Amino acid sequence: MRTEDLVTAMVREMGPVRRLRPPLVRAALWLGFSVAVIAALVLYSGPRADLAERLARPWEAAQIALAALTAVLAAIAAFHLSLPDRSGRWALLPLPGFALWVASLGWGCVADFVRLGPGGLALGTSWGCLGFILGLSVPMGGAMLLALRHAAPIRPVPTMAAGTLSIAMLASVGLSITHHLDAAIMVLVWHAGAVLLAVAVGATAGGRALARQSALVQAEA
Amino acid sequence: MAENTPDGRDDAWGRLMAQAQDGDRRAYDRLLRECLPFLRAVIRRRLRGEADVEDAVQDTLLTLHQIRATYDPSRPIRPWLAAIAERRALDRARATGRRGAREVELDATLSETLPGALTNEGEARLAARDVRAAVADLPAGQRQAIELLKLKELSLAEAAAQTGSSVTALKVATHRAIGALRRKLGGE
Repeated sequence: MRTEDLVTAMVREMGPVRRLRPPLVRAALWLGFSVAVIAALVLYSGPRADLAERLARPWEAAQIALAALTAVLAAIAAFHLSLPDRSGRWALLPLPGFALWVASLGWGCVADFVRLGPGGLALGTSWGCLGFILGLSVPMGGAMLLALRHAAPIRPVPTMAAGTLSIAMLASVGLSITHHLDAAIMVLVWHAGAVLLAVAVGATAGGRALARQSALVQAEA
Repeated sequence: MAENTPDGRDDAWGRLMAQAQDGDRRAYDRLLRECLPFLRAVIRRRLRGEADVEDAVQDTLLTLHQIRATYDPSRPIRPWLAAIAERRALDRARATGRRGAREVELDATLSETLPGALTNEGEARLAARDVRAAVADLPAGQRQAIELLKLKELSLAEAAAQTGSSVTALKVATHRAIGALRRKLGGE
């Protein structure tokens, strides 16, 4: 097909489109939706009994705030990355917050060790945490695919990685409100591990789904 | 600002795209046709080969069409166009790179010159068939001379004894037959 004929065909079948709202607005809407879903789950399972006492500890409150901040920044990054004319460096935005959060969990492990001795680092299993974070990330990742589908031909993998990071961090915050995990090492392994796993799954599966969708559109034309 | 400076053109294209988003076909048509040289220039920085460049231009147009809702009229349009074109050029470059690693272009030296006599046997058989047909077309005297002297490899004396013609006549017939065959097979 000649390029001029393609232009003619495109003009013939074009219709009006609704412009996307600015990325910050869309990120805010997305965050509102995710917070509502997670809040509903938290209310359903009930907050942990010692929540007020926990939040009174500055260290734990700061950890939860860091996780929430990372979630917000990751959502902002995802909606910017989905647009062609924004820098790929938006992907870096949530990384300092994420690194600080992981570092604070690591520091918590050291504190537990100092306070309790080697017993403070005893690692149990908490499949519930993994299940909660993954179980939330996957369906919400599907909703995110819908919200970010226009990213398909541009940067599918970084967009989905940032988006899934946002979801998983929000899930971790929700989990911290409902669930008993006292040992920092448990949080480090089961929360941060689940977040990383979710991002890996979201980036590969989600990125691939977006890329396939983009290829389909190209093939139809 | 003048329309022909890059910034002026940017403003004009941005306005056309905004109108196209609202459903204005003529604005869309004008924008697409005007920005084709720009898209080609962006893609040529990443791709060689006019066919590949043109394929990438078409991929770019399709992507642009698919995500035209992502253009924000308050921002310059050329970075938006260039980013899409670069993506498609890179995709195309990767695809041609993969193809290049798998395939070798055929040229004249590869199509016929194969090492070893057996690989060219088909060719030889075809040639032998042509020679037999050409011999069959010769006048009776010449055909007989070729068959006895060249195909059955008799000596001139043996052939003369078998046919009853003189050695000289056989020599002449053979000479004429070879000449006729050469004209027929070589001259065609």
